[in-house]
Amino acid sequence: MRPILLSGHERSLTQIRFNRDGDLLFSVSKDKIVCAWWSANGERLGTYNGHQGAVWTVDVSPNTVLLATGSADNTVRLWNIKTGECVKVWDFPTAVKRVAFSPDGSKLLAVTEKRMGFLGTIAVLDINYGENLEDQAAEPSLKITCEDSKATVAGWSFPRQTGDQLLNVQVHEFDSQINDIQFSSDRTSFLTASKDKSAKLLSVRDLNILKTYTADTPLNSASITPKKDYVILGGGQAAMDVTTTSARQGKFEARFYHKIFEDEIGRVRGHFGPLNTIDVHPPSYFDFMYEVEREQMRK
Amino acid sequence: MSRSGNRADWADDEEFDDPSALPAQQVISNKDGTKTVISYRFNDDNKKVKVTRRIKTTVVRENVNPQVAERRQWPKFGNEKGHPVGPSFDTTSVGENIVFRPSTNWKAQAKEAEKEGGEKGSIQDQLKDKKVKCRICSGEHFTARCPFKDTMAPVEESTAGGAGDTGEAEAGGLGAGKSSYVPPHMRNGGSGGGDKMGGRFEKDDLATLRVTNVSELAEEQELRDLFERFGRVTRVFLARDRETQRAKGFAFISYADRSDAESACAKLDGFGYRHLILRVEFAKRAT
Repeated sequence: MRPILLSGHERSLTQIRFNRDGDLLFSVSKDKIVCAWWSANGERLGTYNGHQGAVWTVDVSPNTVLLATGSADNTVRLWNIKTGECVKVWDFPTAVKRVAFSPDGSKLLAVTEKRMGFLGTIAVLDINYGENLEDQAAEPSLKITCEDSKATVAGWSFPRQTGDQLLNVQVHEFDSQINDIQFSSDRTSFLTASKDKSAKLLSVRDLNILKTYTADTPLNSASITPKKDYVILGGGQAAMDVTTTSARQGKFEARFYHKIFEDEIGRVRGHFGPLNTIDVHPPSYFDFMYEVEREQMRK
Repeated sequence: MSRSGNRADWADDEEFDDPSALPAQQVISNKDGTKTVISYRFNDDNKKVKVTRRIKTTVVRENVNPQVAERRQWPKFGNEKGHPVGPSFDTTSVGENIVFRPSTNWKAQAKEAEKEGGEKGSIQDQLKDKKVKCRICSGEHFTARCPFKDTMAPVEESTAGGAGDTGEAEAGGLGAGKSSYVPPHMRNGGSGGGDKMGGRFEKDDLATLRVTNVSELAEEQELRDLFERFGRVTRVFLARDRETQRAKGFAFISYADRSDAESACAKLDGFGYRHLILRVEFAKRAT
């Protein structure tokens, strides 16, 4: 297997996302631009220019019409994926660390950082896919303020309207930030990746720890593969230690674990720095064909 | 220059007197659907190089969602605006080959692979602590230099005992040392008398099946899957046409064990594979 290397950014990547059909890949980095790539051949479709600061996060609407990005310039921007135009800018008091569309695409959440006297918040914005994409609500429809902890990441399970805190569970070690959460394809469980060198699979209903995957390095990202029962973890030590560490130590490899048995089943090398983000290609549209038809196609 | 004849006006030609002028690229379409492209370029030493490439175009059709198909038509935008279709070299490249085999004992496997790679380091390292040993008198000189070369037969090598498959190949001794060349008539201890070639291969032949009437769409892997259920297959050879890469209609399957080959021969002779009925028989030794 020969990987395709995409090098469109000048600084470290912060997040990558596939769209739901898996034909496009979006990447954001600290160099302020957002790139869209064809996943089939690695061709760059275009860039979305306009952010004034490092872009921390990106998400694609399920119908691949709108792209949301959150940045250190304290804005969430909404882009028309096809044309590359910015259709809406929301201003926040602090940097936006995570944006995510709800599974039906009707809502967008934005996690703002706890900084400069402002508490961390999760804002929920209503998204409109009408004729005029620029016609979006100016104010968030819901605002959750996180008083006792610093929210870093968030995701959607089954959206409810209230925004009350249902549960608060400490699953990772105290004072070690959770860097990523990604849901399983049915959104009944999610995987966390934490600085405490472990990733945990939690159930959505009661935040029970279902599985624990331990690594030997701080983790930045974790993902569940939809096709096989695998879990991919990525991490590496902090950027300041990178130059003093040899790539051969194996800290910069993507780690594959078995989701059920929690065993590490292999590593994929190739990077020479810590892995910041992982996303898995979604299961493709199933193409039913008889063997005879396939043979004819081959001719 | 042959091109000077059809030039309209010498003053119009920018390449006139230019020693770096390269002949134009030639494209020839061949009978079997491939194309031959002949182009010229300068290499790093500033020498003219003729590059001949044979290109076969294969159309791979893929069914996708209508929305995905519609998106494929989108023009590029942003920093990519106006760039031609296709990946550009400054953003997209292909990385080194990565082998990934998920397994619970991957750590041990990786260690083993590393060790193997280390051992192969260089031939000099491998041979560093090996001594020259005569196969006739076990002295420290080459066999060819042995003073008893013409008078004594070589001693039997004790190391040849590893492969006890049939025993007959090792019997004669001279052919057993794999590293040195032995003329055909001397193999099998000279008893063969030159009636057949390739003493080492003949035991393979005993467990080799010849399969004929194979569909021309057959793949080696499919054949292997088909035949592997009767025992360990050591070799699958599917004859292919050099031009079209289609199967020619026959294949050879070698088993590790002759009894497996026998059961496969009995079961798969007359087996319907693809649209044809296979004929399986033991391979006859080439005479």
